[in-house]
Amino acid sequence: MPPMTLLQTIAMGLIQIVAVLIVVFIMVPLLTFAERKVIGYAQVRLGATRTAGGRKGFTASLNRGMWAMGKVPVLSFFRGLPVFVADAVKLITKEDIIPAKADRAVFTLAPILSVVAAFGVFSAIAYYPGVMFYMPKSWPLIGGLPFNGAIADVNVGLLFILGLASVGVYGIVLGAWASNSKYPLLGGLRSAAQIVSYEVPLTLSLLPAVILAGTLNFKDMSVILSTGQGMSPLAVIPLFIGFFIYTTCGFAETNRVPFDLPEAETELVAGFHTEYSGMKFGFFYLAEYANMIVVSCLATAFFFGGYYLLPFGLQRIIPASVPFLGHPSFLFFMAKVSLLLFVFIWVRATLPRYRYDQLMDVGWKYLIPLSLVNLFIAAVIRYAF
Amino acid sequence: MRGYAPILLLVLIAALLPVLVWSLSRLLRPRFPSAAKYSAYECGITATTEAREKFSVRYYLVAVMFLVFDVETVFLMPWAIQMKELAAFGLIEMGIFLFLLLFGYGYIWSKGALTWE
Repeated sequence: MPPMTLLQTIAMGLIQIVAVLIVVFIMVPLLTFAERKVIGYAQVRLGATRTAGGRKGFTASLNRGMWAMGKVPVLSFFRGLPVFVADAVKLITKEDIIPAKADRAVFTLAPILSVVAAFGVFSAIAYYPGVMFYMPKSWPLIGGLPFNGAIADVNVGLLFILGLASVGVYGIVLGAWASNSKYPLLGGLRSAAQIVSYEVPLTLSLLPAVILAGTLNFKDMSVILSTGQGMSPLAVIPLFIGFFIYTTCGFAETNRVPFDLPEAETELVAGFHTEYSGMKFGFFYLAEYANMIVVSCLATAFFFGGYYLLPFGLQRIIPASVPFLGHPSFLFFMAKVSLLLFVFIWVRATLPRYRYDQLMDVGWKYLIPLSLVNLFIAAVIRYAF
Repeated sequence: MRGYAPILLLVLIAALLPVLVWSLSRLLRPRFPSAAKYSAYECGITATTEAREKFSVRYYLVAVMFLVFDVETVFLMPWAIQMKELAAFGLIEMGIFLFLLLFGYGYIWSKGALTWE
């Protein structure tokens, strides 16, 4: 096949970006809905079951429809689904307030930075190793071109992801500073200290995976780590420990419970986004949920088996001749990502918030030494076996 | 370098998306300005002091420690990829490097920099 021209590269890039963004924009509202429902059921209540509205008109018939859905076993879980549409409409039509004392340019720039950091990361994540399908031959310009499992399959994928993801903290700090108000400032400081503290164990927990795989390419790393080719069976140990350190740090990096101190309602109102309203707040919200998806994608790809059925290099038990189960699949990847997203919500329903000194202790006194030891174990396993 | 073009494209789209949605919502949203609405939020009380005060030096300390450890991970990254090729030499070199780092880590711990009151 001849190499692609620049125009073809851009056209294919656009198509893949739109495809990924559509999936993300479907997943984020579903995630907010799932969060309500799962927490609701965890607290023995129903969660959202209907939209607000009068006795007549569109919302009334919608509510009647959802009442009927409640009588069907599986469907009953999904009533209340239109609530996320209502949420989006509310955010868009809400009055946008920029406080008089705020720094207007930075105040507007901060949510954009958050969104760029959260969404830009999706470009280096591979959802499938290799080509998913080819574009139809008859299409002009892009006919017969491959639709890859990643938007950009770069050889320093992991490094790029870590670099861009850490830009996200600027969005939070700048937004907090530009608000020129006390609660956001305190929330922003806490958030910066927290994200910065957990970034070290986060990177250190990924290093055993890099050592064992010997590459930084997202797709190659994931395939090597789940199929376990050229790896000793003992590699399960550092990968298993690394998985738990990484997920813990992922919770802290995305400001989720039990590490949601930057947004601790009882102390800081809403933390760094107290002064934000309307869609400016909406984009912070979007970035937070997109970050959750990114953390789940990374944890899945490197520690949880990626595109294969079994994690931690155990895939070699199933020979490649077995249909479906022996092959990589986009479905396995998405199923595992969804499972980890469920864990995010599950933890929120279960654990209380940490105190600030406990948070710092966990990061600096436990996770950093643990991840260094884990790194050493991985190095010895890679060297000796 | 061609492989990086889609990344740039996605970053551009991600940056334009908020601007686009904000312009759209500008057409739909109401606007009723008032002095109280545009003042800084302080639980309903009129703010008496400026928000941008001096902050605890603890946060500064965390940033400095982060810098040390982040540079360390930058050193570890290329070594981790070339681990098998560098073999025993790399392992010993990194062992010495990590030992020195652990020494410094023990020092900041003993000085109480990691204890948050």
